[in-house]
Amino acid sequence: MKKAFMLVLIASLAITLAACGAKKENEEGGAQSKVYVFATDASYPPMENMDKDDIVGFDIDFLAAVMEEAGLEYEVKNIGWDPLLIGVENGEFDGAISAMTITDERKQSYDFSPAYFESTNMILVPEGSEIKTALDLKGKKVAVQGGTTADTLMTDIMGVGDTSLKKFESNALALLELANNGVDAVVADSAVVKDYVKKNPDKKFTTILDTENFAPEYYGIAFPKDKELKALLDPAVKTVLASDKYKEMFEKWIGVEPDMTRLLDM
Amino acid sequence: MADFRFDIIGEYFPLFMRGTLYTIGISLSGIILGSILGLAIGFGNLSKKWYLRLPMQGYIHFFRGTPLLLQIFIVHYGVVSNILGRTDAVVAAIVALALNAAAYTAEIYRAGIQSIDRGQSEAAKSLGMSHWQMMRYIILPQAIKRMIPAFGNEFIVLIKDSSLVAVIAAPELMYWAKGASSQYARVWEPYLTAALIYLTLTYSLNKLLIYLERKM
Repeated sequence: MKKAFMLVLIASLAITLAACGAKKENEEGGAQSKVYVFATDASYPPMENMDKDDIVGFDIDFLAAVMEEAGLEYEVKNIGWDPLLIGVENGEFDGAISAMTITDERKQSYDFSPAYFESTNMILVPEGSEIKTALDLKGKKVAVQGGTTADTLMTDIMGVGDTSLKKFESNALALLELANNGVDAVVADSAVVKDYVKKNPDKKFTTILDTENFAPEYYGIAFPKDKELKALLDPAVKTVLASDKYKEMFEKWIGVEPDMTRLLDM
Repeated sequence: MADFRFDIIGEYFPLFMRGTLYTIGISLSGIILGSILGLAIGFGNLSKKWYLRLPMQGYIHFFRGTPLLLQIFIVHYGVVSNILGRTDAVVAAIVALALNAAAYTAEIYRAGIQSIDRGQSEAAKSLGMSHWQMMRYIILPQAIKRMIPAFGNEFIVLIKDSSLVAVIAAPELMYWAKGASSQYARVWEPYLTAALIYLTLTYSLNKLLIYLERKM
């Protein structure tokens, strides 16, 4: 009995170690130079999402171009939104690229790269809905991803503690809630909403752009406060932004030509 | 820890309290409905007739053998949304927890009844009691007493597991803790407060169960 127990214990330890070891080998590649670790929340297509075992999306391509420009080694880890916010703030990660809007509150906790993407929050409603503007959402059931700017905007409109505002772990779950008639509307970044509509042409949805209540937002790469990496990457971000590469990846993931008028002046 | 922000707890306290009521309500409904359903499943599982026994065994296997988180998603997006025509997180939470608890309580009933010595039922039969008389007057009164600690355990587990329904945005305690955490990008304040409330709930329940056990 005792022997059998020890055997099982050793076997399970061995399996765990083997699993860890396998991962280590992959990372060993660039051991000589520092490998910068970026965090992302890969549940935000088309900006970043999982494709089988790989993280793909606009942000991932953009980061690749920036790091190539800067000549630095890096890797991206998918760790989810809340752990990302905390992990970057306390320096566990060297940076985060995750469709993160630059806001004044967030600037208190992070340093940001120059803005690299323009986005607006958009409302998605079933066809024929009476909702026409963001203010119509008051008193309706609305799903958002918790902790996003959509959450902040809607909390301002609906008030703290209103349970009609349902905060989900991801936009995917929020959109699923709308598809199952659990809510009257979803508020999310325009890229996310458009991507969802494009992928689900059979469902009858209408998108609403309300620039009066939802101002344009700008995504930035977030860094822990006062770290050298920001200075290394800022010029690279600017270079990639002005290049044709940016246009190409924008068309690839977003499907239209980028409007660079405001972005290049920032 | 030095900059522990009590103002966050203060701001979210009414929501935590409301969330706690939801946690209690969801868990309580879950355990009550689950115990009733579990009773039917437990007795079916004890039946000598295979066509009663096999489906019940399948049910128990399924709900004990798959993660509760998965069951919550299936119930929320698959079952409840198809029946109601829309999703309802609180209904889905209660249904999922009740279905899950039913599988566990069914096993508690079975174990409790089977733990009573065979001599007892033989004695009852020799006195000419029917099967149901024997259950009602001899077996169950003894068995229920033995089931209480196991039921208490199950209830405590259910209170803790009810935190999983935050993923479908049921506005219970964990949901608000997560909301506070993502709003302020803080860990300690909301989660420690939630932990303390859960602990208070399970601790008082534990005390109540010890009292009940002594009373029986």
